[in-house]
Amino acid sequence: ELPPSHFPAARAAAVALGYLRYLRGGPGRGLELRALRRARRQDIDDVGHKYYLELELEDVLDKDRTVSCTAEVLYGLGSNSSAPDVQITVQGELSSTEEADKEFYNRIRSLEKELVAENIPDSHGNVPPELEPIHLLAWAASGYVIWQNSTENTKFHLAQVKHVKQLKRSDEDLQFDYMLLLHEMVSQEVIPWEVAVLWHPQRGARVCRD
Amino acid sequence: DQVLHIVPETFQQVQHLQLLCSTLMLDLWKPLVPEDVRAGEDLHIRIPAPLVQEVKDSLDQHMISYRVLIPDVQKLVDQSMPRERSSHRQVSGGYVYTEYHPMEEIYQWMTQIQKNNSELVTQHFLGKTFENRTMYYLKISQPSNKPKKIIWMDCGIHAREWISPAFCQWFVKEILQNYKSDPKISRFLQNLDLYVLPVLNIDGYIYSWEKDRLWRKNRSPYENGTCYGTDLNRNFNSSWGSVGVSFNCSSDVFCGSGPESEPETRAVAQFIKSKKSDILCYLTIHSYGQLILTPYGSTTKPPSNSEELMQVAKEAAAALTGKYGTSYRVGSTALILYSNSGSSRDWVHTIGIPLSYTFELRDTGTHGFILPADQIQPTCEETM
Repeated sequence: ELPPSHFPAARAAAVALGYLRYLRGGPGRGLELRALRRARRQDIDDVGHKYYLELELEDVLDKDRTVSCTAEVLYGLGSNSSAPDVQITVQGELSSTEEADKEFYNRIRSLEKELVAENIPDSHGNVPPELEPIHLLAWAASGYVIWQNSTENTKFHLAQVKHVKQLKRSDEDLQFDYMLLLHEMVSQEVIPWEVAVLWHPQRGARVCRD
Repeated sequence: DQVLHIVPETFQQVQHLQLLCSTLMLDLWKPLVPEDVRAGEDLHIRIPAPLVQEVKDSLDQHMISYRVLIPDVQKLVDQSMPRERSSHRQVSGGYVYTEYHPMEEIYQWMTQIQKNNSELVTQHFLGKTFENRTMYYLKISQPSNKPKKIIWMDCGIHAREWISPAFCQWFVKEILQNYKSDPKISRFLQNLDLYVLPVLNIDGYIYSWEKDRLWRKNRSPYENGTCYGTDLNRNFNSSWGSVGVSFNCSSDVFCGSGPESEPETRAVAQFIKSKKSDILCYLTIHSYGQLILTPYGSTTKPPSNSEELMQVAKEAAAALTGKYGTSYRVGSTALILYSNSGSSRDWVHTIGIPLSYTFELRDTGTHGFILPADQIQPTCEETM
C-alpha cells in the first residue's frame, strides 16, 4: 500500500492520465486528475513494478461531475524498457462529445487556409476560445508522448503548445503537427517534442509520428 | 470613425456615392458592395475619422442628405467588449493585482507602496543580481517599543513561476489594506515584523518576460558564456551538490560552481544569517503543485521539530482548502516530490530557524507554470 500523496504513486497516476487522455481525449474532451484515492505497488521478479491505482477524474469542460477509474501501470525493468504497460477501466460514462466534435471537424474542414497557431496558452495563460479544441487535442497528443516515455523517475506535464500547423489531407482525417513543450518535474527540464496527430470524430486521435 | 445613414434619391446620387466608396475605399455596412446601392434604399457607410469632414462636404456639395447613425464607432466597440481586466480591480493607486506585471512595474510598485504607507512600510536594499539589478525587500513593521520577531517571505526564486511574485504583491496589498480593520492582522503586526522579497531572481524573471517564458534559473554565464543559469534553489549551503542536482550548466537543476556561488543566493543568505535569531518563520513561494513542503529534500530523515512543522502545515492546508476547496498535500520534499539538495528552505532550517516552508501554489499541472491571470485572485485569496 502506498501513500497517495507521495511521489511514486503520483508519478504512476500521471502515466495513467496520459494514457487515458490519448485514448479518450480530443478536441471536445480534456481529462484532468481530480484526486488519487488509493495506490498499491507490487514488485514482480524479473518483470518490473506494477502500480494499482484508484483515480478520480474530471472533464475540464464539465467540472461538476467526476468519474472514477481504476488503473494498472507496469513499469518494466532496465533502462532500455519500452513504454509502461497501462490498463484503465473507467467506471461509468464520460460525457458525450459528439456535437462538439462534429462542429470542430466541420469548422476545420471548411477553413480556406490551413490552421497555424503558436503559444497556446500565451504567456499570461490565455487561450482564445476558438483554439481551445486545438489545445485539448494537444493534451491527447501529449498523453501519448507521456505514456510512451515515462519511467518511475519522471513526471511529465504539458507546459505549452509552442506551435501547431494543420496539414491538409486527401482522406477524411484531420492532421495537426504539434511542437509541444513538456515539463519534466524531476529534472525540471522543459523538453520540446514534435508530434503529428490524426483526428476524426468517429476514429478519435492517433499519433502518426512522434 | 462615424457611420452615416443615407437614402439616395436619384440615379446620379447613387453613382456619386458608388464613386465615393470606391475611391476612398469606404467600409460599406449596407449594402455590402457598391454595385448593390439603389435609389430609395438604405445605405450605411463607416467613414474613418480623418475622412469624415471631406465626405460630409462632398455629400453637401451634391445635395445628398445624410444622418449620423453612429457618432463614435470606437466607443461602441469598447462598450460592447467585456473588460479584459478583472472587475475586482484593486485600487491601491490603480495597481491591478489581478494581472501579471513585468519587473519595471514591480519596482515602481514597491516605491509607491512605501510612499503611500510610509508609517508601516520601508523598502530596503538586499543585494545585487548577476546582471547588476538591485534586489529590494519590503519591511512591514508597526512602530513599537517591543522587539519583534520576523516572518520572512520570498517569491520568484524560479523565473517561470509568475504566480509567485503575484502572490507577494497581493499579500502586501492585503496586509496594508486591512491591518487597521482586521483584528487578526492587527494583532499579527503588534508582535511580528513581515519581510517580503517580491522577486528574488530578478534577472531570470525579466528573461522569462522577454525571451523564454519557461526559463527557471538565474542568468549568470558559465563555460565561457556558452551556457547560462544556476538553479538558485539548488545553490544554498544545505547538503549542496549531493542529490537532485546536476553539475552541468545546461541542466535546469544546475547547482552552480559551489554553495552560494550566485550573488542572489548570497544576498539572501547573508541577510537571513544576520537576522537569524529573530526569524521565527521562513516562507518561500513557488509553483506549481499545490503543496506545502517541509524540510528536507536531501534525506527522508525527519527534522527534529517535524511534528510541529507538520501540524502547522496541516492547519494551513486545511484553512486554504476551506476557501475554495483547493486541495494541498503536505509533507517533506523527499517524500512528496523528489530528492533535492541546496534548497533555501532546507538551509534556513539547518541554521536554526524552526519553521521553514516551501509553498507550491496552483495548479497541479493543468496549466502548470502558465497559470491564467484570472486565477491570480482565487489563488492569492486562498493562500492568504
